[in-house]
Amino acid sequence: MTLAASASVIELGAFELTLAAVLVLVTGLVSVALRLGLEKRLAVAAVRTVVQLLLIGYILRYVFAMHSPWLLGVVVAVMLAVAAHAAVARTQVRVPGILSLSLLALAGSSLITTWIVTRLIIGVEPWYLPQYVIPLLGMILGNSLTGVSLALDQVLTALRDRRDEVEMELALGATRWEAARRPLREAVRRGMIPTINAMSVVGIVSLPGMMTGQILAGVDPMLAVEYQIVVMFMIAAATALGCIFAALLVYRRLFNAKHQLMAERIERRGG
Amino acid sequence: MLEITDLSVATGRPAVMLMRDLSRTIEAGQYITLTGPSGAGKTTLLRTIAGLIDPPAGQIRLDGATGETIGWPRFRRQVMLVAQHPVLLDATVEQNLAMPFAYRSVERRFDRAEAEQVLARLGLGEPMERDARSLSQGQQQRVCLARAMLLRPRVLLLDEPAAALDEQAANQLDAVLRRYVHAHDAAVLAARHDVDRAMHNADERLDLTAYLAAPALEPQR
Repeated sequence: MTLAASASVIELGAFELTLAAVLVLVTGLVSVALRLGLEKRLAVAAVRTVVQLLLIGYILRYVFAMHSPWLLGVVVAVMLAVAAHAAVARTQVRVPGILSLSLLALAGSSLITTWIVTRLIIGVEPWYLPQYVIPLLGMILGNSLTGVSLALDQVLTALRDRRDEVEMELALGATRWEAARRPLREAVRRGMIPTINAMSVVGIVSLPGMMTGQILAGVDPMLAVEYQIVVMFMIAAATALGCIFAALLVYRRLFNAKHQLMAERIERRGG
Repeated sequence: MLEITDLSVATGRPAVMLMRDLSRTIEAGQYITLTGPSGAGKTTLLRTIAGLIDPPAGQIRLDGATGETIGWPRFRRQVMLVAQHPVLLDATVEQNLAMPFAYRSVERRFDRAEAEQVLARLGLGEPMERDARSLSQGQQQRVCLARAMLLRPRVLLLDEPAAALDEQAANQLDAVLRRYVHAHDAAVLAARHDVDRAMHNADERLDLTAYLAAPALEPQR
């Protein structure tokens, strides 16, 4: 499969972008008229949108032009680090080293999935072709970080709040694995739910951004749909793997070789 | 049978030392009551003996074996803790009683008739199909005890087993435990705060006052 642009794309220039800015300006005027008090934040957000997107546009153009596996590695590392941080930034409970745990889970799951998709399914040559690797990895991370975040929150909350249940099972002769599998299973399930929901309504309630983007760029809708199917499946696989890795890493951190639950390692956020 | 050697007990992080140099051998057939001022660390001691938390010093052996040598799940299968606060899954009484029989460390099979018998002896006439969490606190505590007894551990570590029971049910419990230790060549170590009743019913008493690391905060009642 190749991304063949069958129709021509209508070019956008500075004038067209300025026209689009009028939309934001109107929104700002509405805010003033209705005294929403949002104009300042709206202005800042609009400027950020422009600056951030222009920046990433230049970076991507540079990276695409360089064709260097090393440069791709740097970009991937930054993406992973940001995603790992975002996945644990809002969890209510944490354990020491939760950031490295999140990084391991996300890196493991997203790199395996990206490799399968780019090498085995799409057959990208050379393997480091950044116009495939970066957007695919980006979509995978954007979705699996939500799953990993939910799974981490669920497993840590369960092990803290239901410590009694886990220790009851340990006291009755359960191995650490036997005592932990109920909370671990719940965590993976919780992390998977948003992805499964998204898969069930895709195309009906939501038209995915990538697909609409390809269609706008003049790609045949059927080809765009084929890509979207691959993307949905790869997101599901990456999220499942990410949640499983996260749950297993928490398990390893909180249960020791003596089959004890070290619940005192779980701390409330800020505590 | 159960040998406790030079055991120290600590809790919390950073660790607060609760007891030092506790040595005691518990023989098969013994029913021992653990007493001590409240806050002395009876619960922590029982959790330490069961291997749920580590002692700063000392050893616990069952017929010469430690958790390290035979594996902690197997050790806890033999030296079994029943916590004061009953913990039951959101399921029927029967499902709760049968649950641990799925563990690898348990060789026996769940026997429904035996389970009914144990419940009846503990004064629980409730049907096995009942939702376990709908039972009263005292009833739940006895279901937890029955769950442990069905696994036939050599040592039962009981944390305030009679706390939620009336006089009659408590006496019934004592009779059941006495019968258990004799029938299965086992021992019971039960933490009790009601010293008088504890003295009256048990064979022996293990008073923790002598082993406390810090002076007790409250005088013993």
